[in-house]
Amino acid sequence: MIQINGLVKRYGSVVAVNGLNLDINQGEVFGLLGPNGAGKTTTIKILSCLSRPDEGRCFVGGFDVTRDSLRVKRLIGVVPQENNLDRELTCEENLKIYAMLHRVSNRQGKIKEALEAVGLSEKKDEVVSRLSGGLQRRLLIARAMLPDPKVLFLDEPSVGLDPQVRRQLWELIRNIRWEGRTVIITTHYIEEAEALCDRVGIMSKGRLIALGTPTVLKEQVGRYVVEEHKGNGKVIYHMFHTREEANRYVKDCTCSVTIREANLEDVFIQITGERIEP
Amino acid sequence: MDWYPIFLRDMLLFKRKLLRLGYLFSAMVVPIIYLLAFGLGLGRNVAFHGQDYLAFLIPGLVAMSSMNNSYTWVASSLNLNRLYFKTFQIFIQAPISPFGIMFGYVLSGIVKGLFASSLIIVVGYLTSSTFKMSLIFILVLLINCFMFASLGVITGMITKSHEDTATYSNFFIMPMAFFSGTFFPVEKIPGFLKPIIYVMPLTHTNLAIRHSTLNLQVLSHIVVIICFSIAFFLLGLKLIRNYRE
Repeated sequence: MIQINGLVKRYGSVVAVNGLNLDINQGEVFGLLGPNGAGKTTTIKILSCLSRPDEGRCFVGGFDVTRDSLRVKRLIGVVPQENNLDRELTCEENLKIYAMLHRVSNRQGKIKEALEAVGLSEKKDEVVSRLSGGLQRRLLIARAMLPDPKVLFLDEPSVGLDPQVRRQLWELIRNIRWEGRTVIITTHYIEEAEALCDRVGIMSKGRLIALGTPTVLKEQVGRYVVEEHKGNGKVIYHMFHTREEANRYVKDCTCSVTIREANLEDVFIQITGERIEP
Repeated sequence: MDWYPIFLRDMLLFKRKLLRLGYLFSAMVVPIIYLLAFGLGLGRNVAFHGQDYLAFLIPGLVAMSSMNNSYTWVASSLNLNRLYFKTFQIFIQAPISPFGIMFGYVLSGIVKGLFASSLIIVVGYLTSSTFKMSLIFILVLLINCFMFASLGVITGMITKSHEDTATYSNFFIMPMAFFSGTFFPVEKIPGFLKPIIYVMPLTHTNLAIRHSTLNLQVLSHIVVIICFSIAFFLLGLKLIRNYRE
């Protein structure tokens, strides 16, 4: 559904995306995971026709995003990282304008459905600026769903939300039925990628450094992690493929240790030596 | 009909603004200050071409005010939508033509220019017995709104911060408001300044808007503002077409 070939994007002297190659299949929920500044948002902006690549080509649904942008725009829905709702308009007005821009047929019915799907029916006449951050994010999702897009981009969907609201949002994202729909989520939350994505691409400094299902990626580095807590707050991580190996290691340890299952952050640390979440 | 959702959005926002009383008051206060200061204060003993000064001043204030409102609204809302609220993104990412975006913004600028003008026209009828609107007046007013709304798109697209909007306004809009024949006829201006005055689009609006019959000279001024309008519109369109983040 999406092909990225040798994508390079520079902003002045900063290389935001540095030779990215990636294929995303139809119907999968794909996660782009990486720290802030890894080039995830830039990639999404290029795929959603907001930026132009400096080098390389990108295709959405077989259409080139620079040469055939009008056709690409008919296929996509975008939930941006920075809220771009009209804050002075009501929920319903926001959806109405968007539906008109995308020539949605049966506008009234679709808007009603979308508001119900995200639990905002009762707030439809409320001015957006009076809604909480979590509700505004829901409205952004409802808006992106209106034209029934084949490809949906969610750029850091839960950034800035408190943990409880974040979980509700994940529930919502899971519940919207993605029949045949391709979803691309960018995130720097490990948990989010593990909770939502079929396949994950890990990005660092504009490059893709790992690609696979969360399970496979974790197995590559070892399923178990022993955290060795040194005195001065320093933690050393050791990866093991089996529980027995981990146990054997722990037996010989003199300082305090924790054994836990590996997560995608461990994958990132193994490859780059840095952490994703600061 | 690409342009309609963009126009509608702006009208919904405008409607909310109008409902706040403060807005209506502030839209009226500047032209009324000019009217009082220049019309009643300075202009009481002045007459141009045998006409009383208020009858001269009011069409000028209409031209100035329509320029200010069409231009400023579009320039600052586009600037804010682009840089601050990011709402401009949804137009760029929608499957609509750049022409639709351009025309939608220009049309809403025209509405705001006409709204401000209508306030002054009402005051004009109340204060001057000789003030009248001709067909030429209405035509020129419409072109003037179109021209400055298009110029507003250009500024809105090229400004890099919200403060920039004020800078452009001080360099291009303010001088035009004062030197292009709003408060006194341009023929009173010293000869060496005239070339500059005649490059300013508002000069031609002012030279045409005060006439009620069409002659070759009036026609030439109308042609000039139409040319400016087309040029500004095409440049704005190009900037929207090439827009990328």
